[in-house]
Amino acid sequence: MINRFIRYIQRYKGWFGGGAALCLLIGLYTGLLASPPDYYQGEVVRIMYVHVPLAHTSLLAYSVLFGGSIWYLWKRDPLVDNMCQAAATITAMFTGLALVTGSIWAKPTWNTWWTWDPRLVSFAVLLLILAGYMMLRRLVDDPDREGKYAAVLAIVGGVDLPIIKFSVEWWRTLHQPMSFSTRGVSISDDLLVPLLFMSAGCWLLFAYMLMIRTQMLYLTELLQAKKGRLLSQTHFSQSAQ
Amino acid sequence: MPFFKTIRWIVWKDLVCELRSRETISSMLFFALIVILVFSFSFSMDQDAARQLIAGIIWVSFTFTGIIGLGKSFSSELQNDCLEALQISPIPKGAVYLGKVLANFLFMLSVEILLFPLFILFFNLDVVEELGILLLVFLLATLGLSAVGTLFSALTVQIRAREVMLPVLLLPLAVPVMIAAVEATRGTLNGDPYAFYSQWIQLLVVFDIIFTVVSFWLFELILDS
Amino acid sequence: MNWFYARWGLIGGVALLLTILTYQDYHTRLSTVPLQTMPGSSSSSKLVRIQGMVKSGTLSGDVEGGQATFEFTEGPVTIPVVYQGPPPENLRELKVLVLVGHWDAQTNVFQAQDTALLNNYGYVAAAYGVSFLALVWMLFAMSQRVMVLFKEIKESKLYEPEVDSLAKKQ
Repeated sequence: MINRFIRYIQRYKGWFGGGAALCLLIGLYTGLLASPPDYYQGEVVRIMYVHVPLAHTSLLAYSVLFGGSIWYLWKRDPLVDNMCQAAATITAMFTGLALVTGSIWAKPTWNTWWTWDPRLVSFAVLLLILAGYMMLRRLVDDPDREGKYAAVLAIVGGVDLPIIKFSVEWWRTLHQPMSFSTRGVSISDDLLVPLLFMSAGCWLLFAYMLMIRTQMLYLTELLQAKKGRLLSQTHFSQSAQ
Repeated sequence: MPFFKTIRWIVWKDLVCELRSRETISSMLFFALIVILVFSFSFSMDQDAARQLIAGIIWVSFTFTGIIGLGKSFSSELQNDCLEALQISPIPKGAVYLGKVLANFLFMLSVEILLFPLFILFFNLDVVEELGILLLVFLLATLGLSAVGTLFSALTVQIRAREVMLPVLLLPLAVPVMIAAVEATRGTLNGDPYAFYSQWIQLLVVFDIIFTVVSFWLFELILDS
Repeated sequence: MNWFYARWGLIGGVALLLTILTYQDYHTRLSTVPLQTMPGSSSSSKLVRIQGMVKSGTLSGDVEGGQATFEFTEGPVTIPVVYQGPPPENLRELKVLVLVGHWDAQTNVFQAQDTALLNNYGYVAAAYGVSFLALVWMLFAMSQRVMVLFKEIKESKLYEPEVDSLAKKQ
């Protein structure tokens, strides 16, 4: 007896995946082939079309995790807990990729793989928080407590993130002037079209991945329950309501 | 039991335990001394270098000793199932939180006040004129650390690998406190005018308020059996 | 199950095809010809791109007006260049850059029409490659797991939780 949300996801997730693929294809075409190279940076500016959407999507993904954690603490729906766990892993993936692409971009433009740029530092701290979140999940034995503790960590981290961003920004501007604040890129229409398509594609891709991973976590627990390993019956009393 | 009475009893209990065993503060002090020694070995410092680095060294050693104290705060409750007693006793959990924050704050602050003269001695610091502002920075940063730290101490004490997980979870979240404390301390030690670093003190105040409130609400979930 | 792998095979094939097409496009637009092959080659009007450095002390002419002559060097090879085109911004002595133009065999001079930035699209390829390989690999692994789990749950004759009776009651 599979939860009806999981069955809805199975029915409709294809639209999200297809939409993501379409948007990303258009974004890739306009970004890699149709748009002109930047006057100063040359071809390297095309990294922006993958880096900026990844960074935006990881922030969106963390807000999904934050909202989901509050929702879980309020309703205690195990499916929401699965969604939070799925969101955390995917957020970590997007954040890590945003850092890696940022680093690859920094090499040709600033001639260094890593600089203590405020945004890079904030994202590194975000990645550390998410790593802690995923470790925490593995170290709690009781599934009820696991969800609760993880939600607490996600909420504290979510409240902390804006403060971290402000403090790191002040800290860097105090020590060195922000020499690369706009990275020499003025947003024109040529840049905006691929950026918009890639952003939409990444958001849809995030939604699609979130659905699949939620399914995966739920179905793993369901299979364990069927094999009689999960003693708690919360999942099934919830899904019947 | 009324709210404030609970806070008072929790603080009193922790202080009496500490006075009788002298476990936490002595281990924190020892650890901090070792950290200071290691730092002075690893950087050979003249007066100028000391000025640049000292604020960071002070706060790294304070933070790590603070984590030791925070970890002990709840792991000492594991003996004789005291943690379960706290969980099931009919007292407001928020009061337990505030009591623990206050006790940790007092432990950490006393260690810091004992250590600071040693820093002045070892690193040849000029004795600062603005000790009042420095004390304010110590107070605010320690309060911020213990506000978040107490929450995560109560959380990690109930999971596996608790000694590792407390710093792993706490340190990324404490990044703003660290930055603000280091910058404000450096400003004070350099004798900069107050306006240069007042924003860091404001940041510490905001951090303290937000995280005391947030942790106060979330603590109930963690100490809920 | 076979449908699943067929679909992912199709996706992989399309992705590979598009990657190859994109690479070819970049290659035709941006690949540079080595400087050594220039002297002695027959002249043609086909535009090529060469990469090298403007030799120190040889730049003369009206650079701001878009007319210049200089020597262009890469390693041991040096060739004379006549530049005639839009006023170049990045044409300076000791500057490493890419010239667009053709070789004139009569006068043994490279007739440049435009300058371009160095092609460093390896970084672009690395950024896109890392991101998309990681995301698609994760997506594939998760989808495969979900597919297997659905199949196992459908086929399992194991203990069914009491949710059925609960659902019927409502």
